Amino acid sequence: MRHSLRRAVFLSALLSAQTLSVAIAEPQDSPAEQNARALWHENIAIGYQALATSAQALSDTATLYCDAPSEHTRQSLESQWREAFSNWQAVRFVDFGPIELDSRAWQLQFWPDPKNLVGTKARQLLSADAPINRQRVTDSGVAAEGFPMLEYLLFDAPFNQTEQALPGDRSCALLKTTATVVKDNATDLSADWQALAEHYQATDSYTATTVRSAMTALDILVQKRLGEPMGLGSSQRRLVYAGDAWRSGQSLAAAEASLSGLQRYFLPGLIRELEYADQRGIGNDLTDQFQATLARFDALPDDLASVLEDDQRYARLQNLYISMQQLEQTMTLQAAVALGIRQGFNSSDGD
Amino acid sequence: MSPTQPLAIATALASLYLAGCSTLTGTAHTPATPETVVSHYADLALATYQDALTTAQRLDIAVDALLDNPTEQTLATAKQAWLASRIPYQQSEVFRFGNAVVDDWEGQLNAWPLDEGLIDYVDTTNYQYELGNEGASANLVANSRLTVGGEALTVNTFTPQVLADLNEIGGSEANVATGYHAIEFLLWGQDLNGFDAGNGNRPATDYATGAECTNGHCDRRRAYLDAATDLLVDDLEWMTDQWSPNIAGNYRASLVADEASTGLQKMLFGMGSLSLGELAGERMKVALEANSPEDEHDCFSDNTHNSHYYNGLGVVNVYTGTYQTIDGKLVEGPSLSDLVAADQPELDATLRQQLETSMAALGAIKSAAEAPSNPMAFDQMIEPGNQAGSTLINTAIQGLVAQTYSIEQVALSVGVNDLQPDDAGHTF
Repeated sequence: MRHSLRRAVFLSALLSAQTLSVAIAEPQDSPAEQNARALWHENIAIGYQALATSAQALSDTATLYCDAPSEHTRQSLESQWREAFSNWQAVRFVDFGPIELDSRAWQLQFWPDPKNLVGTKARQLLSADAPINRQRVTDSGVAAEGFPMLEYLLFDAPFNQTEQALPGDRSCALLKTTATVVKDNATDLSADWQALAEHYQATDSYTATTVRSAMTALDILVQKRLGEPMGLGSSQRRLVYAGDAWRSGQSLAAAEASLSGLQRYFLPGLIRELEYADQRGIGNDLTDQFQATLARFDALPDDLASVLEDDQRYARLQNLYISMQQLEQTMTLQAAVALGIRQGFNSSDGD
Repeated sequence: MSPTQPLAIATALASLYLAGCSTLTGTAHTPATPETVVSHYADLALATYQDALTTAQRLDIAVDALLDNPTEQTLATAKQAWLASRIPYQQSEVFRFGNAVVDDWEGQLNAWPLDEGLIDYVDTTNYQYELGNEGASANLVANSRLTVGGEALTVNTFTPQVLADLNEIGGSEANVATGYHAIEFLLWGQDLNGFDAGNGNRPATDYATGAECTNGHCDRRRAYLDAATDLLVDDLEWMTDQWSPNIAGNYRASLVADEASTGLQKMLFGMGSLSLGELAGERMKVALEANSPEDEHDCFSDNTHNSHYYNGLGVVNVYTGTYQTIDGKLVEGPSLSDLVAADQPELDATLRQQLETSMAALGAIKSAAEAPSNPMAFDQMIEPGNQAGSTLINTAIQGLVAQTYSIEQVALSVGVNDLQPDDAGHTF
């Protein structure tokens, strides 16, 4: 089958404040739904707080490393990047509310990036004469502002062979500045989510919005984050660059973190909704499927490159893929249908 | 209808046109039912693809004239023909999503962004190509032998079929060997101006024969351009036939024979997907938020403002059941708008107002890009710190997002409960 260029893009930040996903307060929401939303709000708040805390630690560690570069501080920094990035993956499914402000999702992670805009922006910033400061970084656009830029500085193999590599002065300036932007965005996101509590819980249509966000996230996970690099999407060749976090070898670890985040922060509220709708069975099925799917990651490494190159490992990845597809179907065809929620247009429809 | 054309004139033209044209079955007086609306939708598609074909044929002729006598004048004429060909084609994109016959076909016509180094010479200093694409620097004009995806190929001549086979070679969608953007690159060349004013600046002598040839391999470049425009015409002939009421067993026949609700679903899916994910998202938001000229749609010619404007107009056409042909005639008939107005006049009024607002915003982008003094092209609007430019683009994005919400409401209103497309296995 021929396809046009399908540069599928995760556009979670597309919708601005007064748009589609903004719920309009309706007076007649049931106490049951409020109860589910209270649970969702609480859980997502935990996820956002974990992101904010680890982003603060990442920023601090960047400063420590640049002040005293050593093998030890470098390892701490890389480890801290993985932790904060993983915490971001866990809440990446939330595509409504304060994350929509100023394209925050893209500020945190511009993806996909088939033409290596992150690398281009890094080279431009590092090679210029002008001092690297917050204004310069934010003026360079979303590709310069998030986890992928930090990942480039820390893990890009060709870059790390150059004279500009860390802990060079300009690289350190970019590292510290970008880490500060990430930290500030994560902190603001967490605070803004807390401030949304009352409105979110009082607004009936946020129930459907929340369920749709999880359905969209699962779809992106299956089709884009796994299917594309596996050669099951628009292209039939296996290509590690079509996944995310390939520089750090964290593509599968990131997918696992996202699925785990859905399990921790989304599933409990959904189960409560399903119980109110007298559909406990679907909730039990989903609980089992989440567990079984997450268990399949145990047989796989964190990275995708070594899996795409090895047919035995690839077969295990296929099993994971199928398991995730089945989970998505239960969500879409059973849970959402039982709750009377249908998927409308979403901002990742483009290609 | 163009904003400057009085309604009375347009209506009169439409009557003349409909009286004299037997292929378009709808009239303004046909009552709107789901069946007549879907049938007229096929009329709109036919009229739009007929115009796309006509303008592609004119482009083909203009390219032949360029190749006969490569001068700056004949090159400029060919560029004008390319620009004119985009007006109907971009309006046709609303037919793409949901109609697998279009979606499976259009990759050969309008795929982007492309790794243009596959086709011809590029300035490698700032050439950004898709990660992992082995064909990104193949330069088919200069090289008859290339290896992509472990496969060694010899390309001695360029024919429409050879180019079609080369498209997306090696499994990379950035290996665009055919279609409007390949032709655009061959006419304009790379735009090396970044965020500054100006577009591609290819000299006409790139198509000269003998000693005047610039940048080498002019014979192969000439053959490439010739074959690419021939293929475009062939492809549009095929698609026009798919929408003809006079060809048995074509796509139109199956569409109108199917449940009318299936046709309505395709109409709405096309409108919503083009509005939100594709135009607002892929073609505007990405370029703006990433400040990335690489993500500009018509990046060689700087015609992006028109591509966006006519995409938006395509959505209006499908909702209102109208299409103004390149000859200024108005095709009209039973519309989705009629169906909605019968049951929910307020929703119809809301969506019409939102479509007007979006077109005004897209029109403002077009006006800024075409201003007689200090024009601001799309790739200047996305420059970091250009507040006026980002406001223009964000206003259009917001308009498109708002209309998508109403398109979802319209779907409910006309009984379409599932907006997932018949996607033939595609992922949307």
